[in-house]
Amino acid sequence: MAGIAAVPEKVTTAPPRKRRRLLSRIPYLVVGFYLLVALLGPLLIDYDPVHTSLEDRLLPPGSETSTGGTAWFGTDGLGRDVLAQIVHGARTSVLIGVSTVAISCLVGVVLGAVAGYVRGGVDAVLARIFDILLAFPAILLAIVIAGAFERSVLLVVVALSATGWITFARVTRGVALSIRERPWVDAARVLGVPGRAILARHVLPFTAGPIVALATLEFALVVLAEAGLSFLGIGLPPSTVSWGQTIANGKEYLEPQWWISTLPGIALSLLIINVGILGDQLTARYRRGRTD
Amino acid sequence: MTKTREYGRSRLLRLAATATATAALLAACSTTSGDDDNGGGTGGSGDVTAAGTYPIESLDPHGAQGASTGTQLAGQEIFSRLVKPDPDGTLKGDLATSWKPNGDVTAWTFTLRDGVRFSDGSPLDADDVLASFQRMISLNGPNAGNFTGSTMKRTSATEVVLSSPAPDASVPGKLGTFYVVPSDVGKDDTAFFNDPVGSGPFTVDGFTPGESLVLVPNKEYRGEKPAPSRVTVRNIPELSARMTALRTGEVDIVWGIPDDQLASLEREKDLTVRTVPSSAEFTMWFNSSTPALKDAKVRRAIWQAVDFKTIISELYPETGKPADAPVTGVVLGHVPQPPVAHDAAAAKAALTDAGFDYSKKLRLQFANAEFRPFIQAVVSDLRKIGVLAEPLEKEQATFTEDLIALKWDINFQQLATPSYDAASNLGRLYTCEANRNGYCNKELDGLLAAAGATADKEERTGLYGRASAIIWRDAVGMYPMSVSIAYAWNNDLKGFVPDASGLPDFAGVRKGGS
Repeated sequence: MAGIAAVPEKVTTAPPRKRRRLLSRIPYLVVGFYLLVALLGPLLIDYDPVHTSLEDRLLPPGSETSTGGTAWFGTDGLGRDVLAQIVHGARTSVLIGVSTVAISCLVGVVLGAVAGYVRGGVDAVLARIFDILLAFPAILLAIVIAGAFERSVLLVVVALSATGWITFARVTRGVALSIRERPWVDAARVLGVPGRAILARHVLPFTAGPIVALATLEFALVVLAEAGLSFLGIGLPPSTVSWGQTIANGKEYLEPQWWISTLPGIALSLLIINVGILGDQLTARYRRGRTD
Repeated sequence: MTKTREYGRSRLLRLAATATATAALLAACSTTSGDDDNGGGTGGSGDVTAAGTYPIESLDPHGAQGASTGTQLAGQEIFSRLVKPDPDGTLKGDLATSWKPNGDVTAWTFTLRDGVRFSDGSPLDADDVLASFQRMISLNGPNAGNFTGSTMKRTSATEVVLSSPAPDASVPGKLGTFYVVPSDVGKDDTAFFNDPVGSGPFTVDGFTPGESLVLVPNKEYRGEKPAPSRVTVRNIPELSARMTALRTGEVDIVWGIPDDQLASLEREKDLTVRTVPSSAEFTMWFNSSTPALKDAKVRRAIWQAVDFKTIISELYPETGKPADAPVTGVVLGHVPQPPVAHDAAAAKAALTDAGFDYSKKLRLQFANAEFRPFIQAVVSDLRKIGVLAEPLEKEQATFTEDLIALKWDINFQQLATPSYDAASNLGRLYTCEANRNGYCNKELDGLLAAAGATADKEERTGLYGRASAIIWRDAVGMYPMSVSIAYAWNNDLKGFVPDASGLPDFAGVRKGGS
């Protein structure tokens, strides 16, 4: 990156660069930690949203509970452990984030690639559909869908995917449009390779970079949107633990019992910020890879 | 490619913007105590601002919203009634100066006050009372349900007679929700209710449904002129925002305050906090028509399985008291019953003996988010003995529809008796004919009918006591808690009287400090 210019200053620039490289690892570590918590945490910390322990309600962080355990992050208005809610909420968030992004990605990439590669009338119709849907506020559509049916995990995934795929489609279409003009695609076409095979083998692999970067950012948005829907009470059913619900449960107690809303809020923000930085780094790396 | 990059950046920007907005929102929700300037909504002296628990959606007291708390609150300030309950529940004359039943209590004669005028100056007489009654019946709103089959007759300009098909001693109490509007108001006269003409202490200066109602004194009011020069009833749905508004002086009176907020309000030296026992009771009917709950032993065992005493002392230490009858102590017809003690082991044994199917989920329906913690605590207790209950929080309209259709196994309601008479609670809801909870008992029907047929208070109380004993013994429902309403108001308000139904009157309130 800094090829020639960096050589004479090698001695002075090395430590900051090393530090920068270390710093740039932090998002990986944090996101990795969340994934680990989401995967293994629920196995280690037991939590039952139905069970309430009223004598333990509103305990501050670090208090001892009536069963002899320690509520490291305090308890909520019904005596349920906040730490356990954060851990189990992480699994819900990751699960919903991953499945929504996977569905959006699948639908978006297929439609985008077809539109970009085939061009002509198909592209004109599809691209206009993308534009129209993009003009519609995503969260509003999600609220309408989530509010109209009975609450469930599947419904939240569908509601968030309903608009999530459009960005994937637009990015894929852009990439496909430029790749289809490349010489190797022409060569394949001249050799008589069927269109579907060209799309799958010579065009789609090149969309991987931007799509991964986009998927990361989309993941952060989905997690945030899910928390938002659950906060409003139209997201997940009460039997599923969710950060949004925990935050909503604590909003009556913001002043005296700050920990109920604040701690899951911090957990949510940390994940969003780190996934965002990670996505930005991936975008930057992909761009560098392409220009080199 | 640059496109992708910019794209990524704009996403990040959006993320940041969302985060900032969320933070701003949270900050707006959090309370800022200590600030005690009397700024905000209230302007000059004599302006009183109140924020109640429920929104005022309509001013039509005869319509579909007629029984809602918001409409009742507005109705009692704008219109007059024949009789009205005092803050403690005793009845006194409003438009009527006296009322008396005939021998078999099937007809009540009301003598009207002379010289009453509407706020537009036109006189109010028996014709208006009669037309209002007919309007209420023909609109068939919730208040009309109290008078099925009843007819009103005008005997003179100052006398009406209300006849009911069966003996009914609770007619005066039930009339507490009957408001008189001018006789020329049509069935669907929405224009009239945007700027209604009434004979209550106040008239409407401005009304935005669901948001605010501004009242000014009615110049034609027959009684003492209302003290405040303007009363604004605002709807602040978010609890923390309501509490902040009270602390900053933006509103003067707030009621329906949850227990967890009371402690911090009591510490504020500028506020007066009071709780008053109300006619409302947590009522959890069992659907006796569900096969699983047909057996009274099963219903009783489920009641026994829930540790209501602990739940009440933890969740409602100040506004809750274990109930001792299907109606609360302020209601005529209240007779204490033996308490149902919590005993999980006995409950489990009784359920197993009765062959209860533990694999079946019971649908527990309720309507307001404020009751969610209570419901969750009950569900948790039931689960401890293996009974599965699924809490179903429904929109008010869906809830009511399902309630009538008996699409539930356990139904939770905070059931108030605004007439302060067991007739409109026990007498109306527990008969075989009403079929509100699938329970049918001819003996109970007989007792309730007999209690409705006599005007003698003592005799009625005795009969309702015997009816209560049957309801209690057969566990038609669980009756865990009688509710008090918590009020808080600024110390510089004088003459405010907390009302037992959550419908305070603002006519006597004056701002002392200014």
